[in-house]
Amino acid sequence: MAAMAPLKLAIIGGGPSAFYVASRLFKLLPHSNASPLRVHVFDRLWSPHGLVRYGVAPDHPEVKNCTHKFDETARDSRFRFFGNVNIGDGVNPIRHALQLPLSSIFKNYSHVLFATGCTLPVLHAELPPSEYCIPALSLVHWYTQHPNAPKPPPLHKISHVSIIGNGNVSLDVARMLLTNVSELSKYDVPSPVLDVLSKSAVKHVSIIGRRGPLEAAFTMKELREMTSLPEASMVPLDPSLLAHSPSLLTRQQSRVLQLLEKGSKNAPGSTEKTWSLDFFRSPTGLALPPRSSSHSRPPAHLSLSHTTLNPHTHRAVPTGKSSTFPTDLVVTSLGFHAEPSSTFYDPSLAHLRTISGRIVTSEGTTLRNVYASGWAATGAKGVLASTMMNAYDIARTVVDDWMGGDEDEDIPDQEEVLNDDLALDLEKLPEEVEMAIGKAQVMQYGDWKKVDDVEVKRGGKEGKERERMKWEEARTFLKHAL
Amino acid sequence: MTPSFTLLRRYVGRLPQRTSLLKNAKGNGFLYRTRSLHTSAVSRHSGIDRPAPGTGIKVHFKDSKGNLLKTVEANEGDDILAIAHEYDIDLEGACEGSVACSTCHVILPPEYYDLLPEPEDDENDMLDMAFGLTDTSRLGCQVKLTRELDGLTATLPSATRNMFVDGKKASH
Repeated sequence: MAAMAPLKLAIIGGGPSAFYVASRLFKLLPHSNASPLRVHVFDRLWSPHGLVRYGVAPDHPEVKNCTHKFDETARDSRFRFFGNVNIGDGVNPIRHALQLPLSSIFKNYSHVLFATGCTLPVLHAELPPSEYCIPALSLVHWYTQHPNAPKPPPLHKISHVSIIGNGNVSLDVARMLLTNVSELSKYDVPSPVLDVLSKSAVKHVSIIGRRGPLEAAFTMKELREMTSLPEASMVPLDPSLLAHSPSLLTRQQSRVLQLLEKGSKNAPGSTEKTWSLDFFRSPTGLALPPRSSSHSRPPAHLSLSHTTLNPHTHRAVPTGKSSTFPTDLVVTSLGFHAEPSSTFYDPSLAHLRTISGRIVTSEGTTLRNVYASGWAATGAKGVLASTMMNAYDIARTVVDDWMGGDEDEDIPDQEEVLNDDLALDLEKLPEEVEMAIGKAQVMQYGDWKKVDDVEVKRGGKEGKERERMKWEEARTFLKHAL
Repeated sequence: MTPSFTLLRRYVGRLPQRTSLLKNAKGNGFLYRTRSLHTSAVSRHSGIDRPAPGTGIKVHFKDSKGNLLKTVEANEGDDILAIAHEYDIDLEGACEGSVACSTCHVILPPEYYDLLPEPEDDENDMLDMAFGLTDTSRLGCQVKLTRELDGLTATLPSATRNMFVDGKKASH
């Protein structure tokens, strides 16, 4: 009977999408002794939850409440998590992660889901990374103590910061730079990060967007947090930017305009620290200062082309005017893309190629039982709620396909790459993983919960939400368990 | 490439299952910023009690097509999200009632919507991002029952399936 075929799913990537897919699968296929469902989640990072741990801003702890649901999912006996395991034939950026080829997964599983996200920053063609120009993701990785371990920014020498792009990541970074350390120290901010922030000389953050307030990617919550910063004030906007016919605006657009018109709670000029939204500006270059041998760090000069909105295409077009100003650090925050070296990556999409959640090869062949969800499938957009709904969609597709497919749905030729043995061993792991577990190289969910518990406890002693561990320290929990 | 239209017909969550999210929310549930006007964000996690049958405030839950899912009873002060969890209605509360997401979005009848206090700024900020937003949309976690809300119908928003087709956001 088709319904009794194994549904032994390997999920590559252990972020919110993976957990929401797993939770929905468990809901759609309730537990029974003979349940042929298994979900094994592999993450190249040692800890689970992806961007919830290494992306959500520290001062948004309530967003992390979704991990309670992930914990509940992980308690299902059909679920296993294997952290510090990088799967795929592409680049492995995590030095200590076990590297496993896709073929090992294909051999051991009947189903595969890529929930690998969009892990790399989109760069700006005119702004190559340098000591003066870094992607926002590096700052996010720095303040979340991501295993990538980027260099801390030299904030003690930086007074003016220019952020390119005005999405919520930009505002997260701006908030981190403009909020007093005494406030941030309550949250899940690693101590070494607080040390750097406490020496910060940042006085102004300019948030630059090539289009206007109506097109800005930030959302109201984040904008409101900016206008409510206790120690900073917003440079007032040119009123002409806010003049729009209300009837043509969406609800969110009119609320954004109202808030921008009101400005920040602190009156302009009343605070030492300031921030500005610089609309209709597009970077054309960053001139670095000559290398200086002294300890001083002269500013770089950022050139901006002034733009306007083409009313038909809604794209930014240059007006011919330009300006240049000194800045100590440029932070590019222009979105994210998937890892280009990963199998099934589509360069024109900048994420994996799928149709209705099913992976499609570059030749146009659909692979049987191979899926993608979350940002790996959709690109980097949307909030947690959209990731959740996308995940529920994919879980339904997986179950429908497994139940014999939807008769109305015309699924083209499918290539078999996975193990379709009806007698597939549901519990068996790829042997490399089995061996690495024996060498304390793999973090399972139970291990993580112990680490999590200690992180929270030691944070609590210092009056903060948690004090994070790095891999070397977390690994001692695995060694003790051996 | 033709997107699968079968997806349009499906929608999330027909199968009932006990979600024990509320029961499991103890422990590391850090909530530094409870709202100034709604201070019950933490206590809410302990769940709610069902009133004796026939004594509570009636709430009807409907799916996006208007089909009745369940009629339940709850007490004054209980919120729609907690009630949904208590009675296994498929309403998510990813941030557990801390007004940091839009997953518990419900649609109310206008006559009941008007009985409620105006949404706060933070609730409106989240509603901005809700799918299928209407003029009478609220976050379930912010709708607290009062006696005058007896007989309230909370409709789950329209199916959000197929929001993403082949990686591109569907335009609607």
